[in-house]
Amino acid sequence: MREAVSDRLTRGLTIVGLTGGLALIAFVSLDVDVLLEQQSAQVGWRGEWLEIAEHVVLPLILLMLPMYLGIRLVVRRSLEPLSASARHIDAVKGTERGFRLDTTGFPAELLPFADAINNLLGRLDDVAHRRETAAAEAAHELKTPLAILMLELDRLGGPDAARLKGDVKEMSRLLDQMLLTAQVDAHATAPVPLEMVSLAELAEDVVIWLAPIALEQGKEIVFDRIESGMVMARRELLRAAMRNLVENGLRATPTKGTVFVLVGPGRQFRVRDEGPGLTAEQLDRRVRRLPRSDPDHVGGAGMGLSIVSRIITVHGGSLQTIPKQREIVLVLPDPGTSEV
Amino acid sequence: MRVLIVEDNARLAGLFARGIAEKGFAVDRAGNLAHAEQALRTATYDAMILDLGLPDGDGLAWLRANANMLDLPILVMTARDALGDRVAGLDAGADDYLVKPVDIAELAARLRALLRRPGYRNAPVMRIGDLQFDTAGRTARNGERDIELTRREADLLELLMRRAGTVVNKTAITEALYSFEDPVTPNAIEAIVSRLRHRLLAAGAGEVLITIRGTGYMLRDQAR
Repeated sequence: MREAVSDRLTRGLTIVGLTGGLALIAFVSLDVDVLLEQQSAQVGWRGEWLEIAEHVVLPLILLMLPMYLGIRLVVRRSLEPLSASARHIDAVKGTERGFRLDTTGFPAELLPFADAINNLLGRLDDVAHRRETAAAEAAHELKTPLAILMLELDRLGGPDAARLKGDVKEMSRLLDQMLLTAQVDAHATAPVPLEMVSLAELAEDVVIWLAPIALEQGKEIVFDRIESGMVMARRELLRAAMRNLVENGLRATPTKGTVFVLVGPGRQFRVRDEGPGLTAEQLDRRVRRLPRSDPDHVGGAGMGLSIVSRIITVHGGSLQTIPKQREIVLVLPDPGTSEV
Repeated sequence: MRVLIVEDNARLAGLFARGIAEKGFAVDRAGNLAHAEQALRTATYDAMILDLGLPDGDGLAWLRANANMLDLPILVMTARDALGDRVAGLDAGADDYLVKPVDIAELAARLRALLRRPGYRNAPVMRIGDLQFDTAGRTARNGERDIELTRREADLLELLMRRAGTVVNKTAITEALYSFEDPVTPNAIEAIVSRLRHRLLAAGAGEVLITIRGTGYMLRDQAR
């Protein structure tokens, strides 16, 4: 058990009080000795001590309890700003970037600690922010040559150029996923506030975005809104996770096949495809593994699920698989009960 | 159709300009926001392609600051997907967004789709492949064959043609076809779509009206 400052203070003050009391008794007994020298013959040393007990020891004993309670009260009140700020930190934990301790009303002795914590919070925010901007800048720098490459291939034309354009698109996709990873990491370091999002609307948005692409590949996406729940989310991150899952589903589904995107029951986003389905172990491997060491890794699909899983984790939800139904499911927490 | 490309990488801007010029657009180039403002003051453009990372400022902030001055469709181009740019771009007043790298066919298709959007200097007659719709006369034809349409069928065809190549969900269709007071039965939209599909087929337009089950409908953009 860790020792509390309040206990140490109480103990110390009690010892000081007791020592003072004892010193007082010693002093009084000496003093009385001198004062009552002539009487001492009459009353004797016993009478002398009775006198001291009545006028000094008794009041001291009577005072002890109120003094002890007083000490506890003063100690507790002096330490109150500390517990108040702890409650303050607790109330906003993990939800806001840019959060700092409010040091007004802080006792002078505690200010250095509060400032140190604020500096640390500032550095964390800074790291998170720098991480996001660095990734964004890297993407910008790398995407420009890719864009040029794409247009030069356009000008060349022919089947070779078409194949190479596919490679350029794949490189761009991997770059997007690296960016997304950087963003999730930054969010885990210092989160930005989540917003209330309709799961079904976000899912429909993803379907609307991907349906024409599916059509071009001769596949179909079917959307089914079984239930429409609200969730707390960072919209673009959740959207990216959903999109990754639907894209994976499209990749696993043969031409003329159908990918079902289902929302509900509850706060669930489900993607059912016509691929072989993933067992829990396979999903776990995909989520944990680096893409390069993944034996199931086909054409860059490996990185997706680990990112989806991390996104859903920072949202307080989970990524599950139902192999029998060939479904991958995102389960999100109820916004009323979620602790992010 | 005159288009302004705002892109700081000269080589990329040149390739874009040449590519869409071959698709029948007249193209001007600006390397930064100052040049873009100058170009917008001196000439009239039908659309603008705006790269977000420019040397003299953030494209989104510029869009937001000049929203009332910019009365032309804007296609934002960004290097960053999934970083909130899409939503931020549309919020700032962009009409559509594309993530680099893009090929010319896609860029041209998006530009054409933008120019079909309502609210700007529209051509009175929209064309997608052989399919034509006269927005003033509310008449449609496929090649030489007239397509007879009721008022709601015409409204639906116009909506789908303006957003050809993208999915229009049932909510958007209901809002476009009916006023608030109109009672709309769940099957009303489906019935109108089905009638329109038959008319398009009868006029030889083929299977261009596609159902995206669970969300809405899409008119295939043959130019794509």
